[in-house]
Amino acid sequence: MQPVGNGQAKIVVVPCSGIGKTYGTVTREAAYIVVEELAPETTCIVPLSLLVLGDEEAQAAVRGVPVVTLDGCKLACATVNVGEAGGHVAREFTVLDCYRRNRQCKPKGIAELNEGGQALAQALAEEVVQAVAEIFETRQD
Amino acid sequence: MPSLPQNKVGIVACSGEELPEGTVTRLAALKVLEELRPSETVTICLPLFLAGGEGDRAFARFYPTIAVDGCEKRCAARATELYSNKPAASLLVDDIVAARCLERPRGLRSLSTDSAPLVDAVAEAIAAEVDQLMAARWSRREGTPLEVESIAAPAVSTAACACGSGVPVTTVQIEGRSIQIMALEPILEMAYEQGVRPLPSGDSRETPHARIMDTVRLYNTIPIEEAPLYAAAVAQAWLSYCAGKEASHG
Repeated sequence: MQPVGNGQAKIVVVPCSGIGKTYGTVTREAAYIVVEELAPETTCIVPLSLLVLGDEEAQAAVRGVPVVTLDGCKLACATVNVGEAGGHVAREFTVLDCYRRNRQCKPKGIAELNEGGQALAQALAEEVVQAVAEIFETRQD
Repeated sequence: MPSLPQNKVGIVACSGEELPEGTVTRLAALKVLEELRPSETVTICLPLFLAGGEGDRAFARFYPTIAVDGCEKRCAARATELYSNKPAASLLVDDIVAARCLERPRGLRSLSTDSAPLVDAVAEAIAAEVDQLMAARWSRREGTPLEVESIAAPAVSTAACACGSGVPVTTVQIEGRSIQIMALEPILEMAYEQGVRPLPSGDSRETPHARIMDTVRLYNTIPIEEAPLYAAAVAQAWLSYCAGKEASHG
């Protein structure tokens, strides 16, 4: 559990990183934008593959801290797997919902997102950062 | 009439987000799928194994898979074995770095340009495994390579009935027996088109193949004492059929 400046643990971001469809890549890209650019001090990624395997360190990392999940399809792998690992999903996002709010960002590509996909990932990342801020406000109350 | 499932190899990449090697596995798997061996491969979503992707589990149970991992934890290989079947091949990025004397990858969100040769090398290694597995005969019943002497009979095969009626007869190899079931393939096709799917293991609701069995009984006389064997044969054919569908959907 990594602490931030005020002693609170970092909020964990878990993207599904689905490999079969564009939306999976959008979750991965959005998660990187959050932890590398927009909120590096307050967020971190826990790899979903480790949770699937039941890795104790990864499971411990999602327990006792708010987790934000990003899913590419309705099977909600990230949300389901965090729940299975005993984590508390504070907010869950789906790419489809974000796309409905940002119809101009039409994603294409899996290995490499097109411009629309990059824009959608940015929009999703900004929504996540807003949610992270709200979670921190709640915790400080 | 549905065609029999085409042979495919499943690629399970760890896609780990914390290490550059995770991104390498992902990009290499996609390179094989999109460029090197598009007709012979499908990708399998690792998280779906636990999230209830019964189709993905079924595929990996009956078809050969290649696990591609970015670190020694080998999430892809171990999770595939845990939830489905042992991968036919397991690749580790570190091994390929060492074998080819390549630079270690750098970057997470975007790999550095000098990591491109490693992605290519991993993709080539996957493609080589694909070629080897496609050349080998695979038992969809056991999820293992067939021994030479047992190649004769595939686990599930369909042919027109000898009576000349045109009704297809599916032969299922199970428990050392050949069970012939009339009209099984169209029944499975109909069930699939109606949205029936295999349930996650442990689900206590009526299993889909039990529902399919009701239809099978309309076309086949099943001796009471052989009912469990027929049910097992139908269940096996159903999982194999669904796995084939998943494979063709990519």
